[in-house]
This record gives sequence, structure tokens and C-alpha cells, in this order.
Amino acid sequence: MEKTDELVAAAEDVAVVPVPPPPSVRRPRPWPLGAAVLLAAAATAVVLLGGTGWLDRPAVGAWRTVCLAIVVQAMPFLVLGTVLSGAINAFVPADLFTRVLPKRAVLAVPVAGVAGAVLPGCECASVPVANSLIRRGVTPAAAFAFLLSAPAINPVVLTATAVAFPGNPAMIAARLLASLGTAAVMGWLWLWRGDEKWLRPALRHRHTGHTHGRSRWREFRIGFQYDFLQAGGFLVLGAMAAATFNVAVPRAVLDAFSGTPWLSVLFLAGLAVLLAVCSEADAFVAASLTGFSPTARLAFMVVGPMVDLKLIALQAGTFGRAFAWRFCTATTVVAVAASALTGGALL
Amino acid sequence: MRRLFQGLLLKLTGLGLLRVTLFSDTYLRYVKPGLRPVLIASGVVLLLLGIAAAFSRTGSEGHAPDDQEGHAHDGPEGRPHDGPGGHEGHDHSGTPRIAWLLVLPTLSLLLFAPPALGAYTAARSGAKPVAVQRKGFEPLPATSPLPLTLTDFTKRVQQDRSRAIQGRTVRLTGFVTPDPAGDGWYLTRIIFTCCAADSQTVKIHVHGSGSGSAGPPAADTWLAVTGTWHPAGTLGTGSAPAALDARRITPIARPINAFTDDLPVTPG
Repeated sequence: MEKTDELVAAAEDVAVVPVPPPPSVRRPRPWPLGAAVLLAAAATAVVLLGGTGWLDRPAVGAWRTVCLAIVVQAMPFLVLGTVLSGAINAFVPADLFTRVLPKRAVLAVPVAGVAGAVLPGCECASVPVANSLIRRGVTPAAAFAFLLSAPAINPVVLTATAVAFPGNPAMIAARLLASLGTAAVMGWLWLWRGDEKWLRPALRHRHTGHTHGRSRWREFRIGFQYDFLQAGGFLVLGAMAAATFNVAVPRAVLDAFSGTPWLSVLFLAGLAVLLAVCSEADAFVAASLTGFSPTARLAFMVVGPMVDLKLIALQAGTFGRAFAWRFCTATTVVAVAASALTGGALL
Repeated sequence: MRRLFQGLLLKLTGLGLLRVTLFSDTYLRYVKPGLRPVLIASGVVLLLLGIAAAFSRTGSEGHAPDDQEGHAHDGPEGRPHDGPGGHEGHDHSGTPRIAWLLVLPTLSLLLFAPPALGAYTAARSGAKPVAVQRKGFEPLPATSPLPLTLTDFTKRVQQDRSRAIQGRTVRLTGFVTPDPAGDGWYLTRIIFTCCAADSQTVKIHVHGSGSGSAGPPAADTWLAVTGTWHPAGTLGTGSAPAALDARRITPIARPINAFTDDLPVTPG
């Protein structure tokens, strides 16, 4: 696992020198509270309405089951990711990342994207790890390339894809290429257009991990605790949203959309965002969507690990809301384009 | 207070995971059996770190040091703490407020584990498209009644050109999903690809209720059904319905791992 760290180095010197923020930069940021209250209220309302017969009980039961299933399924990967990110913060020497990788950010992006292959987890693990890489001085562009590629191209996910699409190596190659391409393009896009103002203040002022006068163990423990609680909260938020969609819209309805090729690509891309299937399982879901063209199913597998409801929530919590919506929108567009191109060429 | 809550939340989440994996099979309602070891490992890690948090609190440091040297504050510029939002949530000192949401799944795991998916979900999901078998079919074993999975039965009916299933008595197991059209009911399996969020459903339409005709059995009952293929369409092609004429219906116990399409094990 530690290999991740060696590979994902960065040209941090090129990156922005933190500018002391003028006081005006501070925004009111009540949104996590607002969202939490809103959702708690919504959940209570759903339960109450269910109790009064407005929704039948099985629906509420199914909602709770699906919601909890997403959380339980993601929990090991979230723990892995936050432990790893805590360890990177506390135990990895600060200059490691700057030593190992290309100094130029333009080159660091694709290298970081390829390095995503060594994190054997799903998307929930990669968000905290990318976060700690940035805090460790990795240029955000490279960290984002890693963030996007890691859940899509690691060996576990590619093996699952091979199992789900037996005798179809082109699908595996297409998934690998389209995911890597999207990750690299998004990294470069960040270098070109990105603005660190969108990131949370805590990320803009890179802190150096280990603080003088505190034990590393304590540093690790507090970092882990904070990251886990924060990411876990957002995971629950995303799981609630995905479960609502999952229960409210029966799968049978979806097959109606498989007609036109272009529409079906967009539709499955949107479905990947809403369903929030774990990247280790999405190949099986894609394989089961037999009515759709191979390119549409590829789009499902490329978009899913990069953008979905629980990821948007996780990213908003980790990197900031201003970042999350811009980044997720751009990623969706790039990922759909990449799958359409790759799918057109290979499938 | 807040830090007490943080440690407590870690411990409770860990305990919740351990409760459903180590001390019961509840986790099988939500995820596949293969996830058990990592779930246990996660539970242990969370529990240990929660305990560690409790112990470190008893040290001399009270509230202040954490606020002073929280992770986000190493920069020389250190952010002023005024403004309506106060200083919550943006550094490592407090509890992120969103963390309160973790209470819900944690309490669910500890106290009110939600039920397994059943007829409600099955009724609303389309039938799982059965994979096309390219290799051709082995001859069927001679035992009678022949135990088959719902997936295999569907494949034999709709894809096996040799029509080996014709006239054979098979034995299928699953739970009951009512047919809204009222004609018979569905013998059903819900199959997890990864977890309950991406489940798929296989259904076999069952005609006749065996001996008596007391109407369809209650939803979500687990049954073993012995019978023969219900002839319609052309056997061995997609036009043949995955349907069964039931001869004998016996209630069975719900399998421990209900969300696969395994062969019936109970004799009978």
C-alpha cells in the first residue's frame, strides 16, 4: 500500500504558494448542518408518513435496507482510505512526494493517474487519500487525477470487469483507457482552469502533516478520527440519496430507455450517478443492463466510479462545495466524451 | 463533550459492525458473505481507535491544545474565528457536524437492523436478464425430481435447444412474490451482485398450487416447489415462459444466505 505514496509524488513547488486569505474570503458555510438537518427531517418525515400509511411499510423497510447496505458495503473501504490518509499525514516524510515524481505538474498528472492502479479499493477510499496527498503538498491536479483513476483501474475492479464480461477483453481495455484518459484530462483541466479558491480553506493552506511537539501516533489518531467521521457522515448522506432513488424508481422502468444509442449513453451515465453502485460491483450491474449498447454500458462503468451521489457528498465534505459541483460536472462531461470516443473505437 | 462524542461514535460504529458480522448473520441481509473478514477488521479498527481516543482524553490536555494546534492551523496566517459560522467543521478540532448522520446507521446496526429484502422489492424489479450460455448444455442428471436453480431453469427453458427439460420433474426453491395479475404467483430469488443496493431478481411463474387450490401462498414464504415446465411458446427459445406447473409445494426454512441462487439443499 505504501507504494502509492512513492508513486504519487508531485511538483509542489510549481503549485500555488498559499496566499494569506483576506478576511473577505470567508464565506458563511452552514451547509453541512443545513443538509444534515434537512435530511434528518426528510428521513423523519418518510418514517412518519410510512407510519401513517402514506407510504406502505415495505417501502420504508426496503429504503432502510438499501441505505444501510450501501453504508456497510462502503465501510471497509472508507476505513482503509482514512487509515491510509491518516498514515500519509503522520508518518510519511513530507519531501517524499516531491522527490519521487516529475517536477512539472503537467507530467505529474498522468503519472499520478497511472499510480491509481495500486490502491485496491473503491471510490470511498480514494477521496480521503487524495485529500491527504494534497495536504502533503502534492499538486491538486495530480491528486485529482489519482482520485479519479484509482477506483476505476485498480486490479480488483478490472478483474471484476473481466468476470462480468467474459470473453470480452475489449471492454476491459476500453474501461481502462477511458478511465485513465478522463483522469488525465481532468488533471490538466485543473492546471489550466482550476482555482484553489474553490477548495476548502484548510486545503489551501497546506499544512505539513506532522506538527512539532505532538506525537505522530496522536497525529495519526486525530487525523483519522476527523476524516472518518466527516467522510462517514457524507457517506450516509449519499447513501440516503441513492437509496431514495433506488427504491422510488423501479429498475423495470429503466429498461424503457434503451432505444436510441446517444440517449442511452447519456441515460446510463446519469443512472451511474444516481445509483451510486460501488466501483467493484458496477461491472456486474453494467453487464446486466443487456438492453443497452456496449458504449452506453462503458459510460456507466467510467462515470460511476468518478461521479455519483455518495461521491459528490464525500467530495463536498472533503474539498468543499464550490469545488465539488464544478469538478463533478466537468468530470461527467469529460467521462461521457471519453467513453463515447473509446467505445466508438474499441467496441 | 464533543470529543467524548467522537470517540463514542467510533466505538459504536465498530460495535455495530461487529454485532452484525461476528455475533449474527445479519450482515448477509446487506452484503455478500465474502465481505465478512474486512467488515470484522473495520469493526476492530474503529473500536480500537475509539478506545484510544477515550484514553488519550484522560491526559492532561483539556480542550485548549486541540483548538490551538489543530491540523488546519499550522499556517502562519491562522484564521480568525469570528463570523456567524463560528469555528466548526473546518479544522480538526471539533466534530464535523455531518458526523451526526453516522448515528443513524450505527443505531440501525445495533438496535433495529432493517429487514431483508423480499417480495416488495422483487415485485418492483424487472426479471434479471439471464446470461446467454454459449457453450451449449450438459445433459441433465437422471435424478428425479431434479434440483435446479431458478437461473438454470430459466436457461434450460429459454436457451437449451435440445429441450432436455421437457417432461422432467424439477425442484426449485425460493420465496413467494404475488402476481398482481392474479394468475398464480412467482417463485423468486433476489441475488446480490455486491450488496442490497444492486440486487437483481429471478422469477419463475408458478401455475397451480399443488394439491389443494387454497389460493396463492403468502408473500415472502420460502417454498420448495416440485413440478414440470408449464408448456407455452416454443421450448428452447425466448418465447418459452419461465413457468412451472406445480405438483407439490413444501414450506422450507429461509436459507441463512438467502441472496444467492443456490441449489436447494433440504431434501424432500
